[in-house]
Amino acid sequence: MSYAYLFKYIIIGDTGVGKSCLLLQFTDKRFQPVHDLTIGVEFGARMITIDNKPIKLQIWDTAGQESFRSITRSYYRGAAGALLVYDITRRETFNHLASWLEDARQHANANMTVMLIGNKCDLSHRRAVSYEEGEQFAKEHGLVFMEASAKTAQNVEEAFIKTAGTIYKKIQDGIFDVSNESNGIKVGYVVPNSSGGGAGSSSQAGGCCS
Amino acid sequence: MRGGDVAAAEAGSPRSPDLYDLSDDSDYAAAAAASDRTVMRTDPADRGSEETARVDVVYEKERVTIHPSQYGSGRISGKLRLFLQQGSLFLSWEPNEGADSLSTSSVGVEIEKYRNLYTIKALPLSDVRFIRRYTPTFGLDYIIIVLSSGLAFPPFYFYNSGIRELFATLKQHVFIIRSDDDPNVFLVNDFQDPLQKSLSSLELPGVASVANAMSRQNSLSFTGSNDESRHGATSSMSQYSSKQKHKSNDPGRDLSIQVLEKFSLVTKFARDTTSSLFRDNSGAHAYGRQQHEYILDNKATDKHKNQYITPEKASTPSATIESDPLPLVWGKQRDHPLSVKEWAAFLDPEGRVMDSKALRKKVFYGGVDHALRKEVWKFLLGYHEYDSTYAEREYLAAMKRAEYEAVKSQWKSISATQAKRFTKFRERKGLIDKDVVRTDRSIPYYEGDDNQNVVVLRDILLTYSFYNFNLGYCQGMSDFLAPILYVMEDESESFWCFASLMERLGANFNRDQNGMHAQLLALSKLVELLDPPLHNYFRQNDCLNYFFCFRWVLIQFKREFSFDQIMLLWEVLWTHYLSEHFHLYLCVAILKKYRQRIIGEQMDFDTLLKFINELSGQINLDRAIQDAEALCTIAGENGASCIPPGTPPSMPIETDGGLYVQEDEVL
Repeated sequence: MSYAYLFKYIIIGDTGVGKSCLLLQFTDKRFQPVHDLTIGVEFGARMITIDNKPIKLQIWDTAGQESFRSITRSYYRGAAGALLVYDITRRETFNHLASWLEDARQHANANMTVMLIGNKCDLSHRRAVSYEEGEQFAKEHGLVFMEASAKTAQNVEEAFIKTAGTIYKKIQDGIFDVSNESNGIKVGYVVPNSSGGGAGSSSQAGGCCS
Repeated sequence: MRGGDVAAAEAGSPRSPDLYDLSDDSDYAAAAAASDRTVMRTDPADRGSEETARVDVVYEKERVTIHPSQYGSGRISGKLRLFLQQGSLFLSWEPNEGADSLSTSSVGVEIEKYRNLYTIKALPLSDVRFIRRYTPTFGLDYIIIVLSSGLAFPPFYFYNSGIRELFATLKQHVFIIRSDDDPNVFLVNDFQDPLQKSLSSLELPGVASVANAMSRQNSLSFTGSNDESRHGATSSMSQYSSKQKHKSNDPGRDLSIQVLEKFSLVTKFARDTTSSLFRDNSGAHAYGRQQHEYILDNKATDKHKNQYITPEKASTPSATIESDPLPLVWGKQRDHPLSVKEWAAFLDPEGRVMDSKALRKKVFYGGVDHALRKEVWKFLLGYHEYDSTYAEREYLAAMKRAEYEAVKSQWKSISATQAKRFTKFRERKGLIDKDVVRTDRSIPYYEGDDNQNVVVLRDILLTYSFYNFNLGYCQGMSDFLAPILYVMEDESESFWCFASLMERLGANFNRDQNGMHAQLLALSKLVELLDPPLHNYFRQNDCLNYFFCFRWVLIQFKREFSFDQIMLLWEVLWTHYLSEHFHLYLCVAILKKYRQRIIGEQMDFDTLLKFINELSGQINLDRAIQDAEALCTIAGENGASCIPPGTPPSMPIETDGGLYVQEDEVL
């Protein structure tokens, strides 16, 4: 399928926080409690539309266990966006955020957009991390924040699309050089004047997203 | 060495010293003197063993050795000879008879099989294109003999030296010159090229007319069954003889291009790389590589899959093979699984496996009937000794059951209040709890809510994490355990089988990933050996970490095949029949199969990773095993040398009574 841009996303966070479920909810709009644990990395993709432009999200869903960090790091390269996920019912997954973030900062593109997601908000009766704590952490580290539920689909769509919107805006603002694919952005075939540069894609300006 | 009679034979030789003179190499001046000791001339009368017409042995060397297998200790020592018969020069190599002092008993049987396979009874020198000499800084000197067909014999290692004398002797009898491009390459019979000829005025009086070699005296002795002769990388020697016209002064390039064009399956890229190999003096296996290309790319045509290749024409007398057409190196057609009846035949009345080697071979080629897995896997995994009896195994099971329960009780007895103060335990249990419900749940044995088998999975993994607290639990372990429990249907027995497997593969799950890195590095070396163009491609595209094969290696292809297929593949791998590291050859085989797409589509790391991931469920298992088998056979010792000692699933180098050991001390 043709697209104006392709964004590479990476989903990171502790094991069992629901990374694969978030991906499946976003790509297939379903929740599958029984699925194989992720070894290495799995891939998902979906088309979205921003500013009337078809954008393909290619999403890398990584293994969360500590032992695999050295492998996971190699996946950051060229990611335009990251979803950093924790489980609001398990405090330790929140406590580990800083170390994930450090990995991301070290191995990913400096311009990578990071979205912090407190998953499993449908289980708020077992909540171990407050919304405010998540919000605070995001603020401190300059991340976009949302609580979501892969099970109920609450905020899942929003999380992925909001991230894409942020990336798109960075392109518009000329922060990304889209001719350099190491930014995790590929220019597709649809846009008439996609000759490289700062994505001026004029004709249908307007409709923002976010 | 029979120095005495040899020296006597040559002492009175009337030949002038210049016959030994390969004047461009000072080595050979020294060799001339040395050759007195090794060159011998024997009349039939002196040698009762030579039954045919007059045979003059002009060179003979003991302890010229082939290293046919991946076992460093697996060597076949033999005798290399040059002899004249009816005016033509022949080369022979015969293995020593009886037990080879160089092979250890464990590999002796395996080696025995190769013995006849590699025997060269009488190879006319007219069939030899060139001989390359290798003099590594460390290790033994060896030569590789490349035939006009483009194929090569495995390396001959000279334990008693003697390569110089060999060339000195050759020079007396055939037209031999040093290659312009590579001083270690000695061209034989290169009459075609005037340029080459002009490089050396070595045409000698008394040179045997190699063209006179008689077809009936040909050739290699492949006495093994078809089953065995598939190992003969050298066996299709006659394919190109009739076409062998040398237009270039670079024999390597000439040959490689012929070979490549012949099958026109290798990209230009491959060709460039291949021919460049021939100029690489330090590339110790350059010719070997070419041979690999030849065989494997031919194989890739599929047309001849598992068929014998008939020489296209037998127009050159020396190309005629007397017996059946000889096979190239293919993986053998997959066999049926080990049946109940066959299994019974492997056992003596007390239940000992009489011929474990034959059993492993059988399993390697066909797998195991599912009903037998419960029994056979215990041997393959090393939990049961092959020479144990029924009674001993029964006793062992009882003992081990008690031991298992004892370890299990260690965590079973942890109270809730104790667990509160035992973070490591809580974390580990939490992780395992999360993972067992995400392991093979689509298999009926594990599906559904409150499945008791899932609980058993959990219990075994948690118990193992106490049994081997240093290693603990790591994701991927449940992937290994699920099929084992499914087969064993017994908690304790599954535990011990799993523990045995972890003796070998535990390093896959080390925190520092050293076991994985060792395997991925070995894989990269194997690809470099077996598919240089692909290796170059990976190098140029920054893919040499081989992380795209991470999942394949970590859990031995568990996610790439169906549950039924994986049981088959694992039992094949666990035989360690051709190599302990057969899984790495499987990686190479699969990569090689898709190399044209990988290179053609110019895949970068990301694309490649995605591509490899998406091969899951797409790989033809039998084909892949066959391909890997062929690769493993071709690579032989060179392949084994790509894999450092201790690389999983080899046993760790440092073992403590067979128990898995890690450095850090906990508990």
